[in-house]
Amino acid sequence: MITELLFNGFAILAVLGAVGLVLFRHPMNGAMSLVVTMVSLAGLYALLSAKLIFALQLIVYAGAIMSLILFIIMFLNLQEKDLPEESGRWYYLLGGVVVIAPIALFLVKIVKTLPGSEATIVGGGFGGIKEVGLVLFQDWLLPFEIVSILLLIALVGAVVLAGKRRLGK
Amino acid sequence: MIQDYLVLSIVLFCLGMLGVITRRNVFTVFMSVELMLNAANLAFIAFSRLHQTMDGHVLAMLVMAVAAAEAALALAVVILLHKHKSRLDTNVFSLLKG
Amino acid sequence: MEHSVTYLGYIPLMPLLGALVLGLLHLFTCRGKALPELLYGALACIGPLLSFIFALVVFFHLKGLPAEERFLVHNAFTWFAVGDLHVDMGFLADPLSSLMLLFVTLIGSLIHIYSVGYMAGDENFGKFFAYLNLFLGSMLILVLASGPVVMFVGWEGVGLCSYLLISYYCKETENVIAGNKAFIVNRIGDLGFVLGMSLLFWAIGAGGFDYLSLKANVDKIAPATGIAICLLLFVGACGKSAQIPLYVWLPDAMAGPTPVSALIHAATMVTAGVYMVARFSFLYASHATAGTVVAWVGILTALLAAIFGMFQKDIKKILAYSTVSQLGYMFAGVGIAAYSAGIFHVFTHAFFKALLFLGAGSVIYALHHQQDIWKMGGLKSKLPKTYLTMMIGAFALAGCPPFSGFFSKDEILFSALATGHTGIWLVGVLVAGMTAYYTFRMIFLVFHGEPRDAEAHAHAHEPPAVMTVPLQILAFGALFAGFLNLPGIFGGSLKVSQWLAPSLVDHHPHVSVWLELLAILTSIAAFAIGITLAHRKFGQGAQEPEFTGFAKFGYHKFYVDELYNAVFVQPYKAFGGLISRFFEPYVTDCHVRLSTWLYRKAGMAFKALQVGYVRVYAIYMVIGLSLMSLFLSQTIH
Repeated sequence: MITELLFNGFAILAVLGAVGLVLFRHPMNGAMSLVVTMVSLAGLYALLSAKLIFALQLIVYAGAIMSLILFIIMFLNLQEKDLPEESGRWYYLLGGVVVIAPIALFLVKIVKTLPGSEATIVGGGFGGIKEVGLVLFQDWLLPFEIVSILLLIALVGAVVLAGKRRLGK
Repeated sequence: MIQDYLVLSIVLFCLGMLGVITRRNVFTVFMSVELMLNAANLAFIAFSRLHQTMDGHVLAMLVMAVAAAEAALALAVVILLHKHKSRLDTNVFSLLKG
Repeated sequence: MEHSVTYLGYIPLMPLLGALVLGLLHLFTCRGKALPELLYGALACIGPLLSFIFALVVFFHLKGLPAEERFLVHNAFTWFAVGDLHVDMGFLADPLSSLMLLFVTLIGSLIHIYSVGYMAGDENFGKFFAYLNLFLGSMLILVLASGPVVMFVGWEGVGLCSYLLISYYCKETENVIAGNKAFIVNRIGDLGFVLGMSLLFWAIGAGGFDYLSLKANVDKIAPATGIAICLLLFVGACGKSAQIPLYVWLPDAMAGPTPVSALIHAATMVTAGVYMVARFSFLYASHATAGTVVAWVGILTALLAAIFGMFQKDIKKILAYSTVSQLGYMFAGVGIAAYSAGIFHVFTHAFFKALLFLGAGSVIYALHHQQDIWKMGGLKSKLPKTYLTMMIGAFALAGCPPFSGFFSKDEILFSALATGHTGIWLVGVLVAGMTAYYTFRMIFLVFHGEPRDAEAHAHAHEPPAVMTVPLQILAFGALFAGFLNLPGIFGGSLKVSQWLAPSLVDHHPHVSVWLELLAILTSIAAFAIGITLAHRKFGQGAQEPEFTGFAKFGYHKFYVDELYNAVFVQPYKAFGGLISRFFEPYVTDCHVRLSTWLYRKAGMAFKALQVGYVRVYAIYMVIGLSLMSLFLSQTIH
């Protein structure tokens, strides 16, 4: 009962945040809406008893990535005149909805064919740091290493991209 | 119950897609992509709960790592573009036109 | 009865390997520092000399066998087998091909050695010898071939090499045109050869398509088919051996270096046609009509070329027309079924014509590429060795007893008389006189009298030994080769004819000694009249006359080249122009153009989709996804 209430609340908040992201003209407002979505998603992860992911969502996504985005937006010091015109935005949105609706309906249709299972009780250890860590380092070691290399490359790439101009001078 | 999570995931994903194809602001497009990644993550976690395995959690972590890398690079690119053109409009950048 | 021996294959292989090695060496060094000429020269001469040694081995092997068993064969591998047509890469050495082998390899080797001196300093030294070796190798394939198909390989090979070598000095357009002319005229002949060969296969090829099987099956051919085959094959021989109407390429083949001319005229290429007719003697012997046609075409070619030869002023052109003329004699010989006489003339002609060409090469070399006989003169004292050897060659060509040309030519003329071809005999005697006249006209103008170009005369000097020694060897051959086939009247026993007998369908009519004596005396008289006329006119320092009337007509070769140009070449060109101007753009190209036009228009239409905004491409993708979803939704219930 209470979980359903919580789910409904988080779901509504997440959708509202997403809608806000798409509709707000200024990216700062959009970013704040996205933070709302992310926090709501963190709550949903908690409801799904994914403890580690709940924490990571809050720390990495809502914390690190979003603050980076906000930082850059503020760093560029965006004025109203810097923003794109986007005069026909509403027509675009309408067209976009028309185009995307079949995809959404199709996916929903697929989901409806899944066996409707009620949430079962899981053990206390499910989704904990230790358990996920064991799976990660036993079954998923190679992808983990590849991702670490990817992060390293991204780091180097970001340095090269952002530092290029200064070097040129 | 799980289906509700999945439907929510679909809704968020489609909203992200809508943002990508309709908006011209570079930041909004970028954040819409992040939204789509999050929607996918939600689906992973939901399926993980359904099957009571923790592989979905691991995948969600990997997605987050990729998203972080993407954020670092994409924002560096955005800064460069802004330096070049002083604009944030995706329509300014039409180098793909032959 | 045949004997199988492996070393037959080595004979053509030697020069071919030489060509490969030389060609590769040349390719890899032509951009950088060239290798020493001596290395190239040595490599080039090894192949032909080894072939000559093998040819001697073949000859003595055959000699050791009883006359009716003198057939050596070697089937290297099965080339292809389609239905009834089974072709082996086979070689056959019988008395006929062994005789050809001997002089082709000997004279080829001598020409190679001579070329080392003649071509010294040429920038493409290696390339020249690669071509020369290839030429000789192709000729050896032609001679040794065990069947018409393998022969055709060599046949085409010599055609290709003659093209490459005639246009060897390819920086001058006219040389390239001369090479093209040789090649194209040869193609016309080749078509005849291929058609004749196909018809032959159609008629009796199923029983095996090599000479020995064909010879065994020759009776099964219907007379009309047989005559058609003979005439078609003769068209091929006309192209290769420069007979009417396809003789026009040979005089132009002078554009190549002089050793090449010697090789073409003496040892390889032009003798191929005569050899081929002799090879098919079993066919021609049973169809006398075709033989008569061959004989008349031959003797008329001899007459025509002799007329042209009397008026030329380029030393190599005179020799070229003399070759055409002598080839005419050979065809007259094989046409009247005196095959051994024809082949014997090929044999002696190879010696004295190679000698004359190489001698002319020496003269040209000494005078720094002066070829006009009206600018020479008085070279007797400057080039004594060349003079002496060329004199021997000239006597042999003119048919003076006891030089080799006399015996071989006389054998042909006597055979004509003996078999009742009186017309051919009369024309032959006339041509003999003309031959003596134009040969000694050349000799007198070049070596006797006063020098007409004092400066060139002063600088002239005898070429190096590498060039004069081959001349002396050839002179020896030109002098004594005739004694190999001494007729009975001179106390001989026609040794060469006897040697050739197992390969040929030859017959010697028995006639009175008086008739033979008549033939010999008329020949000698014709020679004497010719040389006397030449001496009276050109013996003492004649000056270049203005050509008028018939002489002008003769100098311009009866305008045959111009006639061919107007009748064949120009209409053909006009036809080609018509095709390229109307048929091609509006009929054949039209489909291609239409499709390119369609694609271009379609591209223009789809170009509008490529707006260049990433967002729009994302929209396309989403639209695609959407359509797919709509479609797939139908399948889910």
